[in-house]
Amino acid sequence: MVPEYLTIAEAARLIEKRELSPVELVDSRLDRIARLDGKLNSFIRVLGDEARRDARAAEAEIAGGKYRGPMHGIPIGLKDIYETAGVATTGHSKVMQDHVPKADAYSVKRLRDAGAIVMGKLATHEFALGGPSFDLPWPPARNPWDVSRFTGGSSSGTGASVAAGLVLGGTGSDTGGSIRGPAAYCGLAGIKPTYGLISRMGILPLAFSLDHAGPLAWTAEDNAIMLQAMAGHDPADPASANRPIPDYRAALGRDVKGLRIGLVRHFYERDNEANTATRAAIAAAAQAFEGLGCRVSELTLSPLADWAACGMAIMQPEAYAIHEHHLRTRFTDYGEMFRDRMALAGLVTGADYVQALRRRRELVDELDRAMADLDLVMTAAAPTEAPPIDSVPKFAILERPSLTIAFNVTGSPAMSVRCGFTDTGLPLSFQIVGKRFDDATVLRAADAYEQATPWRARRPQL
Amino acid sequence: MTRQELDAALARLGLKVPEKERDEIAAAIPLLEDVQKRLRPPGGRNVAAEPSHVVRFPEA
Repeated sequence: MVPEYLTIAEAARLIEKRELSPVELVDSRLDRIARLDGKLNSFIRVLGDEARRDARAAEAEIAGGKYRGPMHGIPIGLKDIYETAGVATTGHSKVMQDHVPKADAYSVKRLRDAGAIVMGKLATHEFALGGPSFDLPWPPARNPWDVSRFTGGSSSGTGASVAAGLVLGGTGSDTGGSIRGPAAYCGLAGIKPTYGLISRMGILPLAFSLDHAGPLAWTAEDNAIMLQAMAGHDPADPASANRPIPDYRAALGRDVKGLRIGLVRHFYERDNEANTATRAAIAAAAQAFEGLGCRVSELTLSPLADWAACGMAIMQPEAYAIHEHHLRTRFTDYGEMFRDRMALAGLVTGADYVQALRRRRELVDELDRAMADLDLVMTAAAPTEAPPIDSVPKFAILERPSLTIAFNVTGSPAMSVRCGFTDTGLPLSFQIVGKRFDDATVLRAADAYEQATPWRARRPQL
Repeated sequence: MTRQELDAALARLGLKVPEKERDEIAAAIPLLEDVQKRLRPPGGRNVAAEPSHVVRFPEA
């Protein structure tokens, strides 16, 4: 009997020892999907036959002594902006519902090469921006902790499916917080790696200079395992970094004593006020880091609204340019949330965009200076627990400054980590940020925090 | 931006936005104007201040 919930690391240990068969594991997840996804809507397309075929192949390979590593035989889901050879990749949109790519995205190929089993394509906000929407060809994903609640977005199906244990990990993308938001609301660990670490080739773009691909999973360790598989230079992506990839998992478990953490409280206490439960949970998390021997000090940066304005003024025209043709010719084939956000985006001028890029340079320099004597920055990932799914305003991304987009502007690695629960049992999170290409320290700190606190033990009751 | 100016701008963009949605977009314009204002420091920016460049040249 396969346990209801397993982390990637736990399953990998069992698979390597041949105490768990990839076929059994995949079958147990397919049963779970059939039983639970009707109320979660996390999958757009389940690839049951393909997953069983790949699981049988993995089992035979492992039995033959060819164990590939900790992703071998692990069932994962792909946000439906990751292209898959011969399988529709829709962006959760009518506009691309018949789009069947000829090849896998580069990061998908890497995951398959590492032995991962693709279980299906997951719900997303339309083209990673418009949602939660109720007027698309598929319904929005719902939060497993309370199905009346929002998953966060845009990697909504990934957040829901991983939290519900339908898959052990999944892919997301993050242009302004689309990995960290669902990770926060669904109680997962989700890292937006350094810009350029994971190839964007074959991933439907939202905004070229802000788009980051990355994993969502139950723990920091699982994120390290997935990141290891996904990261690597790809000449086909002009922004792909050509530098050695460290062993992320090896960095875990090392002492975090002496790490210097700057706590940016004004982001969530003044600039985008978090509720009492979130503030208390982050304060307790900062104390937990101090208890681990880290040095936590207050850090003041430019107002959050400045970072958000810079990010939005870059995201909007880049996204508009990508969709310009279809917006002109098929406007109402897009969902209302996406198309109206794009109509507003069309009003951003060329001068606005260049001013935003000039501001970006200033803000990148500002964070680099601020982190010269720090290893990490800590702040909120979201101002509250997950709100009701029907309460998200159309222009929410402009109404309150995003707590996450600052680190898309800077390209820094940033991760959501669960740090508690509300009285009603909804997860709370904080965000931890590192220097560019020091993703390993982010993962190491997140893992140390998870090991020192009890929050990872609780799973949603479905 | 007035509603008339919005209608003209949407026409220039070639977007056929349903009437009801135009009202909601018009109501959100102050949010966009705040973004536009925040990008520009009072008194202007040093004329030589360069934008960030995503694509780097290969090292020599």
